[in-house]
This record gives sequence, structure tokens and C-alpha cells, in this order.
Amino acid sequence: MSTLLAAATEPTVHLTSQTRILAAAIAIAFMAMILELIRRNQLQERYSVVWFVAGVGMLVGAAFPGLLGVVADAMGVRDTNVALFSIVLLLLLGLALNFSVIMSRQAAQITRLAQERALEKAREQAAAGNGAAESRPQAPPPSSSSSR
Amino acid sequence: MRTLVFIPAWNEEASVATVIAGVREALPGDDVLVVDDGSVDSTAERAREAGAIVAVLPFNQGLGAALQTGYLYALRNGYDFCAHLDADGQHPPPEVARLLEEVRADRADLVIGSRYREPEPDATDDYRPTFSRRVGTSVFRFFLTLATRQRFTDTTSGMRAANRRAMSLFSENYSPDFAEIESLQLAVREGLRVEELPVRMLERVGGSSFLTPLRSAFFIFKGLIVLLVGQFRPRSVEVER
Repeated sequence: MSTLLAAATEPTVHLTSQTRILAAAIAIAFMAMILELIRRNQLQERYSVVWFVAGVGMLVGAAFPGLLGVVADAMGVRDTNVALFSIVLLLLLGLALNFSVIMSRQAAQITRLAQERALEKAREQAAAGNGAAESRPQAPPPSSSSSR
Repeated sequence: MRTLVFIPAWNEEASVATVIAGVREALPGDDVLVVDDGSVDSTAERAREAGAIVAVLPFNQGLGAALQTGYLYALRNGYDFCAHLDADGQHPPPEVARLLEEVRADRADLVIGSRYREPEPDATDDYRPTFSRRVGTSVFRFFLTLATRQRFTDTTSGMRAANRRAMSLFSENYSPDFAEIESLQLAVREGLRVEELPVRMLERVGGSSFLTPLRSAFFIFKGLIVLLVGQFRPRSVEVER
């Protein structure tokens, strides 16, 4: 019982140098991939920042594993692994939400674009006069002051 | 005084020409615009043949976006009034003329054609709603009345008439997801005079209703979220008076 308690309160992080090197290598490879995607115009700079921050975070975690213990302590979590997973999970959740927000904005932009095109075509048709059969003049300029 | 009657249509080639002909007969002086919401059939061709101006959205955007396109067209081309009705033939054009009379007489900024009639709102002579629709209608009626403190019987009616004030509001703020209900809530919140007028509606000429029970449930759920959020939305800038 006492040994279990001692083990639980011990602030060491169980990362061997092997896993640390592996984590650092993955982080560097990840950031290289982001740079390559930007270079090939497959990723815009403004969306790359958040991924760079993630890569740097991974690198820092690999270089200073003690930091993780500090963070876990601050969170009041005994197991550093749980702290790590919680943080990553929350970050990913935030990121996914961020993408939904961006997607909604772009959907609205696409809709407006489609509307503008449709309106322009309709105006052309109205101006050509093959629309309404009335002899009344059609479609005054957009900024018409005829509205009362 | 110029009036635009617009008809949002999505794959309604069977009925759109009949509806246009009806509108031109009932409202001979007014311009007719069909907003083709990305149809894959020949809706746009049928509409042009029938003499309407056609605004074609390049892909299906949903009823809200289609209606907004109509309001934008009316606003930008200087129309004083506009009205819209469904392309499936459920809305008799002479009834649209009645709605337009209300806004022309300046008795309201927005007039909704209601398929239900007081005092027995669910039973009409011509119209028999399905069970799913009855449930949805009562739910929306209850919550919209709660939200707006104004009594509405037909919250999802697609037959409306508007003046420039309503036009300018709807051409900027129109939810693509939930056009009918949110627009009513918005209009009341922005201080527009919204009026409901009982109208006669018919059975569909072509196509089929999109309402299955599952879709209805999803529809209701989405509608409630929209209404809830709408209550806490900041007011937009003062609309054109």
C-alpha cells in the first residue's frame, strides 16, 4: 500500500531516451511535411500555424519530459499520461471545431457567390427582353432610386 | 409601382410552367422570376419557355438561399413589392394577389399565406396534412408564438408577400438552413409588421413532399435550435424604412 502511494506521488516521467528520440524525430518529420505542403501549395500559410505550434509542442515535450510532469501537477492529475492525452484530446477538439467554423464561413461565401452569378445571368436575360412579355422597360440600373 | 413574383424551384419541371402561367394570369402586370436551385431536370428551360426570367444557382443551395436570391433580385432591381410561392402548384396565384394587396395597402411589411383557418386551425376543406406535418406544425406554432409573442398558424408557409423593408432585411439575413421559421422570428424581432392571411391551398401538381417521419424529426430538432439561438442573436442594424 505504502509503495503504491509512493509510486503514485513520485513526479518522474516514464520516458526512455529511446522514446524521446523517436518523439523528436516524428515532430521534426511532421514539421518538414507541413513545410513541404506549403511549398507545393497544398496548404495555406494561415492554416499551417496551428500545426506548427503542435509540432513545436511535440518537440519541446520530447526535449524536456519534466515539463509534462509540471503540467500534470498543475492540472492535479497524478498520471502524466492521462494529462498528456487530455491535453491532446482537447486541442484536437478545438481544432475540429475551428474547422467547422471555417467551413461554415466558406459555405456562406460559396452561397453568396452562386447567388451573385445567378442574379447576373437573370439580369442579362431580363435586359435582353426575352423574359417577361410585357412591353414595359425592364430592369433599371441596380442602384435605382425608383423605390419609394 | 413595380412588383416581382418569384418562384423558388428545385426539380419542378412538371409543374413550374403551370405555376408561371397561373401567376401571369392572376397578376398580369407583374414580373415573374424563377429561382432554379440547381435543378438537374429541365426546370430552367420550362420556366424560360413560359416567359419567366430565370436565375439559375449553379448547384443546390437549399430553399433559404433560393428565396434570398429572389429577395436580392427584387431589392437590387428596384421593385417596390415582391411575393413568392412554391413551384409545385400548391399555391393558387390568385391567393398571392390577395397577399400583395395587403402590402400594397401598407397594412403590413410581410404577409404570410396560411393554409389553416381559424378557429379550427388544423382542419380545412381543401387541405389534409399528414401526421408528421401536423406534429411539426404544432411544435413550431407553439415555439414561434412563444418566441415572437405573436400568433402564427402556418409557420412554414412558402407563400409570402413583402415590401422593401422586408426585402432588405431578408436579402442580408436569411438562414440557408431554416428559411421559413427563422425569417418570421427575425422579422418580428426587427419590428416589421407581420400579418398572416388565411389562403386556399391545393394538392401538389407534381413531385412529392420531402417529409418522411425521420426527416420531420430532424427538421423539428433543427428548427428548435434555430429558434433558440435566434432569441439570443444580436439585432442587426436598422433596416431600410
